[in-house]
Amino acid sequence: MRYAILLLGAPYSRQASHSALRFARALVARGHGLEGVFFYHDGVHNAARLAAPPQDEPHLVDGWKALNREQGVPLQVCIAAALRRGLLDEREAARHGKQGHSVEPPFELTGLGQLVDLGLRCDRLVTFGP
Amino acid sequence: MLLHILNRSPATSLVYRQALTAIGPEDRLLLIEDGVQGAMPQLVRHFEGLEGRLFALREDLASRGLEGHCDPAVQVVDVDGFVLLTEEADRTVSWY
Repeated sequence: MRYAILLLGAPYSRQASHSALRFARALVARGHGLEGVFFYHDGVHNAARLAAPPQDEPHLVDGWKALNREQGVPLQVCIAAALRRGLLDEREAARHGKQGHSVEPPFELTGLGQLVDLGLRCDRLVTFGP
Repeated sequence: MLLHILNRSPATSLVYRQALTAIGPEDRLLLIEDGVQGAMPQLVRHFEGLEGRLFALREDLASRGLEGHCDPAVQVVDVDGFVLLTEEADRTVSWY
């Protein structure tokens, strides 16, 4: 089946990110296709390039990156939710006159239309709330 | 048939009441994260009428030291069982 995940919870504040990543891994292991993970509301903090959790804790950002690297899962971040929380890729940083950037590939800043598209295209859309 | 997913304990949040009003006669309810507290014998009465349709996630029970303490009315599933529940349902609804 084709699955998509909507993640609304901030990493390390709520369990949502851990739950979503664990579910994503289980989906793929069962042979399903994960067509995308959409990060929205405080979930956009999962895309923070500079996240540096203690080494003995799960690294959620790296976990999502690994999922992309190994399975090609698109990591889509709501651009409106991201910008107002200081999460900008290189292009948006330049556009807003900011030094440095806080989001990098494989995370991509995108619009809500992508979430609608995932919802229409996939057999299941599973939400992990805060 | 819908799979409802609840991540809040009935002891600390009333969102379970909204979920209960929305759960259809065939629908299932999966308790995850702090929601697994609702699988304890002391709290399971909040989910009366869901016998056979009430599930709790094993990993979240284990991380809270609650595995093995569930009420018999609750079916414990691991994350693979979670995926299976989403396969069997037409759609999922998350309550938080």
